[in-house]
Amino acid sequence: MTTHEQGQAKRSGADWLLFVVGFVLFSALGFWGTPALLYAEKPQPFQFSHKVHMEQVSEGCKSCHSFREDGSFTGIPSTDKCKECHSDSPQGDTPQEKTFVEEYLNKGKPVDWQVYSKQPACVFFSHAAHAENAGLECKKCHGDHGDSEKLRTYQQNRLTGYSRDIWGSSILGMGDPPKRMKMDNCADCHRANGVRDACFVCHK
Amino acid sequence: MNWDRRAFVKFAVGAVVGLHASPLVPKLMDDSAIWTQNWNWVPNPEDGALAFANTVNPATGTGVKVRVIAGRLKGERLIRVEGNPEHPTSKGGVVPADASALQNLYYDDFRVKTPLILDQRTGMHVEASWEQALDLVAGKLAELHKAGQAHTVAALGTEAKTLDGELLSRFMAAYGSPNTSFNVSASDTLAMAGWAMTGEENLGFDLLGANYVISFGTPLLEGFGSPVAVRKAFAAWRKDFKRTGTLVQVEPRASVTASQADQWLAVKPGTEAAVALGLCQVLIQEGLYDRSIAGAALGFEDGDKGLGFKTLLAKNYSPGQVAQISGVPVETLITVAKAFAKEPKAVAVCGPGNGGEPGRLLDFMAVLALNALKGNLGKPGGLVARQPLGLKPLGEAVAYRGDKPRLDGLGTAKRPLGAADHLSLAKGALAGAPYKVNLALVAGGNPAFCAPQAGVVRDFLKSVPFVVAITPYLDESSSQAQVVLPCGTFLESWGDSLTPYGAAQAEYGLHRPLIKAYEKVKSQGDVILALAAKLGGAVAQALPHATAEAALKARTAGLGELAKLAKKSYVVQEKPVYGNLGFKTPSGKLEFFSMNLHNLAVKLSGEGGMAKVLKAMGVSAEGPAALMPHYEPPAALAKAGHGRLVLAAVASLRTPKGDQPITPYMLKVLDGDTLANKDQMVVEMNPQTAHDLHLYEGDLVKVTSTAGSTEARVHMFAGAAPGMVFMPVGLGHYASQNAYTYRRGGNYNQVAEATADPLSGLPTWGLTPVAVSKA
Repeated sequence: MTTHEQGQAKRSGADWLLFVVGFVLFSALGFWGTPALLYAEKPQPFQFSHKVHMEQVSEGCKSCHSFREDGSFTGIPSTDKCKECHSDSPQGDTPQEKTFVEEYLNKGKPVDWQVYSKQPACVFFSHAAHAENAGLECKKCHGDHGDSEKLRTYQQNRLTGYSRDIWGSSILGMGDPPKRMKMDNCADCHRANGVRDACFVCHK
Repeated sequence: MNWDRRAFVKFAVGAVVGLHASPLVPKLMDDSAIWTQNWNWVPNPEDGALAFANTVNPATGTGVKVRVIAGRLKGERLIRVEGNPEHPTSKGGVVPADASALQNLYYDDFRVKTPLILDQRTGMHVEASWEQALDLVAGKLAELHKAGQAHTVAALGTEAKTLDGELLSRFMAAYGSPNTSFNVSASDTLAMAGWAMTGEENLGFDLLGANYVISFGTPLLEGFGSPVAVRKAFAAWRKDFKRTGTLVQVEPRASVTASQADQWLAVKPGTEAAVALGLCQVLIQEGLYDRSIAGAALGFEDGDKGLGFKTLLAKNYSPGQVAQISGVPVETLITVAKAFAKEPKAVAVCGPGNGGEPGRLLDFMAVLALNALKGNLGKPGGLVARQPLGLKPLGEAVAYRGDKPRLDGLGTAKRPLGAADHLSLAKGALAGAPYKVNLALVAGGNPAFCAPQAGVVRDFLKSVPFVVAITPYLDESSSQAQVVLPCGTFLESWGDSLTPYGAAQAEYGLHRPLIKAYEKVKSQGDVILALAAKLGGAVAQALPHATAEAALKARTAGLGELAKLAKKSYVVQEKPVYGNLGFKTPSGKLEFFSMNLHNLAVKLSGEGGMAKVLKAMGVSAEGPAALMPHYEPPAALAKAGHGRLVLAAVASLRTPKGDQPITPYMLKVLDGDTLANKDQMVVEMNPQTAHDLHLYEGDLVKVTSTAGSTEARVHMFAGAAPGMVFMPVGLGHYASQNAYTYRRGGNYNQVAEATADPLSGLPTWGLTPVAVSKA
């Protein structure tokens, strides 16, 4: 019996347990560590309740997130838009509104919100084409954001600078909008609805 | 189970496989790909409301629309310059200088964003407040004025007749200095030629109406007048692949214009005027000329002034003689002249040289004579007179009242005509006679780089103890200044522009601040007005307007409400005015023998000494011919030969004209035949000429003139006339603040030698004798 064969004989199948331990430990590390390392939590300037606002307005999301005359989407409303309802002094008694009125509204300073759904600059996305022409509901991509009482913690990808919402909460990149807003989600929906999904449709 | 090497390897392999089974790798790869789209130099404008604002680029005369995006957080930003389809002459077109104008606006490192004062100890500019900087400049000016040295202040502006030009002229005259100079252009030469022969200074070529055009050495498709407007006219001649217009180019090089032309007459350098006169002679000898106006013109026939233009042509410019001078075959001259005569709407065009020089007055007069003989004066497709723009002066005329002579000699017997130019001023000041300059005010431009024989202007600025630059850029001129005052580009300031060279319709362009890109940047006019207010007294009286906007309002009072005008950004005469030119000459007729020139010479000398006066003005012809269109070989040619070549410029829409710096985008679109290896200028030579000098394609050579020298790579080009070397313009910046343009090639203006043009006295630098040797 050679030395090699003697070594083989002494080894037991339990050795392979180490392989399994290594595999499990490091894949778990990958699953847990990737988001922990990759995403930074960034605070919003102050808390905001979509729910409270939705109860006050008549036209739903569009009341504040409106379209301009040329059809382009305003996105986050400007402080001027807020002024249509808010005045120099807070209407309610929350500290958040006080901060907003004193620090932003009265100073005419725009609120630097962290935007959960901001897509990379290389993507052309028309809200008018989706919400107006195709009649998609805002919820289709933005979920229950409009009914939320609080702003979630904003997680920013340290490498790309974009929100975690684009890749989605699942680190495996699973799920469909509103859980995830990647290019393949856009393409899937386009294909399913018979809309062109060529590169130049979105990457102008 | 032992923890041995094998066990460790199993664990490690498990770990690696486990890590790869996790989302770490695909996720990082995906993010890395997105990260590459977010490099900080990738423009990433904020989303926002889009709007368009009209303006006119004064450097090109193009009517443009600027896209403005109003970001919620970062505010407004200009994101694109595109053509304005409503502009009557540029009709939506742009040239590279328009399309890339934003690069000069937003190029932070190169922009002057705050007043700067030179720290004498460190030799570096340090930031200052407007108050500090203006107090320093006004203090110096007041000090010199008090010491009776006001005349030792010189100002170098850009365009004399614009708002900024008028403000500067008024400022200097009221302050007490006769020394204000501006860029000179072909508009000055054409105005003089028009004044000499027709009494009309505002002449234009109705290119859009013409169907036969002979261009005498002009870069018609590469930067003539408003380049976009000319290109549009050319496009109309080629509409739907049908040739409705014929273009004949007379030039020593197969330029873009020559290669797009229907016929290229390859002439010897500087002989374009001889060809024009040869064509005149063919028209006369064939009886194909206009008898009613040209035939009845003063000086056409022999008369009391001596020999007439007709005899002069027959004597000196027969097709055979012209073929000898220019190298154009006799048959070609006759064919072209006959075709020119036959076409009902034909025009001969003179214009700026390829290096932007103002052209030669006698050449322009020869081309005017050809148009007159054709009988196209005031006719559709011919030479037309523009209506005046109707601008109001900024107040009562302010003239220099002192008794000190001008440094540039303008208005003296040696230089009775002409326009105040930077080079003559710089030469006069460097000579120090009769006095030296104590303070130079560079307003708006970059004369140390762009003026003819820029090296002289640079040396002049170096010699001046105190230089003030009002400029948007840290360029070759402002980097020499003790005080730099930031003014805006046309996208961020009030100002105007006048009719581009040679346009048939009068045009007025207005530009207004479309954006406040830098907090402390002002309009150039506002800086001059602020200085005037600080100085007080006569200067403040001469410039009573509080702001450049108010001054512009007064200037355009006859054109309508400023707010509306500024929003539209242009006023363009609807269509060319046809009809008799009116001939406001002393004889009331067209004059081949110019009485205006004659009277001027008489005034300066008395009848007897006229020959002497004309000789001092650089005219070598004698007798009545001296005051008629005639051909004089350019001074540069006399010095060429004996191993020396003739240097000429290559015009291109991809290189800048005038004072605007070349943009990174324009540099990028230059091909290897202009800029090799991104930083080496390329000069063109005829293969035979290169062979004679033992040079091969790509050889590094030194091009040397008496004015200066530069290095370049040789490109052999059969379309270049033998014995010549052709060099691009606008390259070779050496002010290190602009990393994109720094040391990209050499500067044509530093090699080209300027000579005084006969009669006009304007500097002309189209042809320069140079030595070319291996570097």
